[in-house]
Amino acid sequence: MASVKEVATLYQNLKSEWSKKPRKLDKCGELLNKIKIALTQLSFLPSNNTTVNQKELILARDVLEIGAQWAVAVKDVKAYERFMSQLKCYYFDYKSCLPESAFMYQLLGLNLLFLLSQNRVAEFHTELERLSVDIIRADPYIRHPLALEQYLMEGSYNKIFLAKDNVPAESYTLFMDTLLDTVRGEIAACIEKAYQCISCAEAARRLNLPSQQAALEYGKKRNWVLGPDNCYHFNASSETCAAVADVLPSSELAGQTIEYARHLEMIV
Amino acid sequence: MAPVEDVEMKNVESPAAASDPETPEVKKDADVLSVQDLREHVKQLDKAVTSKEPRFAMRVLRSLPTTRRKLNGNVLRAIINQLYPAGPEKDALLVFVEARQPDAVEIEPPRSRSATKMPVPEVDVYMHLLVLLRCLDANKLAEASACTEQLMTKVLAQNRRTLDLIAAKCYFYHSRVYELTNKLDNIRGLLHARLRTSTLRNDFEGQAVLINCLLRNYLHYSLYDQADKLVSKSAFPENASNNEWARFMYYLGRIKAARLEYSDAHKHLVQALRKAPQSAAVGFRQTVQKLAIVVELLLGDIPERAIFRQAQLRKALAPYFQLTQAVRLGNLQRFGEVLENFGPQFRQDHTFTLILRLRQNVIKTAIRSIGLSYSRISPKDIARKLGLDSAEDAEFIVAKAIRDGVIEATLDPEKGYMSNKESSDIYCTREPQLAFHQRISFCLDLHNQSVKAMRYPPKSYGKELESAEERREREQQDLELAKEMAEEDDDGFP
Repeated sequence: MASVKEVATLYQNLKSEWSKKPRKLDKCGELLNKIKIALTQLSFLPSNNTTVNQKELILARDVLEIGAQWAVAVKDVKAYERFMSQLKCYYFDYKSCLPESAFMYQLLGLNLLFLLSQNRVAEFHTELERLSVDIIRADPYIRHPLALEQYLMEGSYNKIFLAKDNVPAESYTLFMDTLLDTVRGEIAACIEKAYQCISCAEAARRLNLPSQQAALEYGKKRNWVLGPDNCYHFNASSETCAAVADVLPSSELAGQTIEYARHLEMIV
Repeated sequence: MAPVEDVEMKNVESPAAASDPETPEVKKDADVLSVQDLREHVKQLDKAVTSKEPRFAMRVLRSLPTTRRKLNGNVLRAIINQLYPAGPEKDALLVFVEARQPDAVEIEPPRSRSATKMPVPEVDVYMHLLVLLRCLDANKLAEASACTEQLMTKVLAQNRRTLDLIAAKCYFYHSRVYELTNKLDNIRGLLHARLRTSTLRNDFEGQAVLINCLLRNYLHYSLYDQADKLVSKSAFPENASNNEWARFMYYLGRIKAARLEYSDAHKHLVQALRKAPQSAAVGFRQTVQKLAIVVELLLGDIPERAIFRQAQLRKALAPYFQLTQAVRLGNLQRFGEVLENFGPQFRQDHTFTLILRLRQNVIKTAIRSIGLSYSRISPKDIARKLGLDSAEDAEFIVAKAIRDGVIEATLDPEKGYMSNKESSDIYCTREPQLAFHQRISFCLDLHNQSVKAMRYPPKSYGKELESAEERREREQQDLELAKEMAEEDDDGFP
């Protein structure tokens, strides 16, 4: 049986290891694994007995917080998600018996950004609903992903590129990069639809790529054809649309009509 | 919690009735009548138990709102004295009934031949429920919570099918007491356990009430994730009462709206409005209507003006009317003003975060109207018109609008303008057919739902059958007549 003290010393080790610069990430991971096993002996796992020790809870929460940040640092997305879902229980369900953690909003904001970068917008909004409106408006960590979501929905993509440089915390950058990739994909899709022809340089500027060379490579990935005048041309898509429109969706129409007939028969 | 968003469907009690200068004589008569009504209820419940017919109990419970208004300490004391033999049960109930008013007149019990026996559990629970309601109405929360605890132990101890309907009501008020005392998160376990039991026992009313209580519980703490999971993992009983359906539809609408499934949300909210009682429950309809308006705006539609004109809703919907106008005009500045002015109100209605999402709809409307009025315009001008920060922003926004199919246009990067495509004839596409299909299926669904919701007055069922037979006869006669007439016609014009 591991006592609270043992875990506490392990936690102190982890904390000092974590605050060292540069961090040894492997060492931290090892320590984390050890602590996690030790924690299961305490009241770490959710259970029905109501007598929970506040000290144990705080200890577990702090460990999980470091764990989440560690997972971001080693770019292990799955581990990060696990840590977060465990942490949420401490943030929301034990709200009444724990003092608020200093990292709480930073990590919650990070989680929002994570969901956004994965394009899981529905979950993004369900998470957002749990936070009170004052926090949404005031807290810098929460406001950042929220603003990003708004830009994304509106289409102000260049503001997202600008926002890359003023992230509220260092751990946000990993998901920012994923998000930027998603955004670039969105922009490329927009370009395909909105422009009939666009020069390579213009495309590079819009995609926020550093050089024409990069734009050429990106275009190749999306199967864009470079014309002789150094421009991309997009008009093939409209022709295919017209071709699709000519085909009559007969089976679908028949199905609908039969459905109506059945309902009408029930009514009459 | 503000009274407007009280989802409990009760009529707004008129304070005037209570303060009427009643003479003790009139009051006594009213009380005596109420006691007689209650005795009648008890008889009905007894009948329900002996004949195992739930509809008698259902009738008693349907009149619960009216009964609730007639309750007072005097009435309760009298009925309890009449029903219960002296013993611990009687005393336990009388503790919660307020002390006798000095001017109140003793109500004489009808002379009974034999000594009173302990009433059946159904009657006992019903009486207990009435006492609980009295505590709630008198705003004595501490006593109400003690009372509801005892009531729950009573209900849990019993395993009788005849009790199910009354027990369902008890769950509802149990959860209500906990909501009023702000301890809602403590009873989730109990509600889940009861839900499991009532599902196993096929107690549809209990299931419906418990699912709704749980959803309310989750949404109270904005736990949309859990609520969504509960809905997907449980089946709402088909033959639950209309009021429970209306509540369920409303909760479902809220969950779907939070998860960006707006068209589903709108469908559920419209059904909630239709299922809600049409004359009473103004608060419920206001709440649902508010949410429905926001969801409709998010869908990109503009709600009809007639909605805002209904007398009962006009005042409550005023902020939403302003909001709708801002969205309709595509005026970002005005949208910001509305958000600023009515922010606290929207927050109270739980619609604030949804309204924040409307910003992009405002922009879309604005771009659409620009697209309609200009054949060629530079992004810089668009940025100026929309109040955006830069021309670059505008270009990206327009590009996205084109991709989303808001406008038909192309951008020219060299010369720097947006030019409108010739609008194609929409009637060449499948669009009208799809829209038509959507409307037809909506109407059919609505028809089916309303057929299911129809209620027949008691006893007229047999009459209806006869009249159907009569009608068939009459139709037969009509047919014959028509035939004769046709033959006559033939005869007349050879």
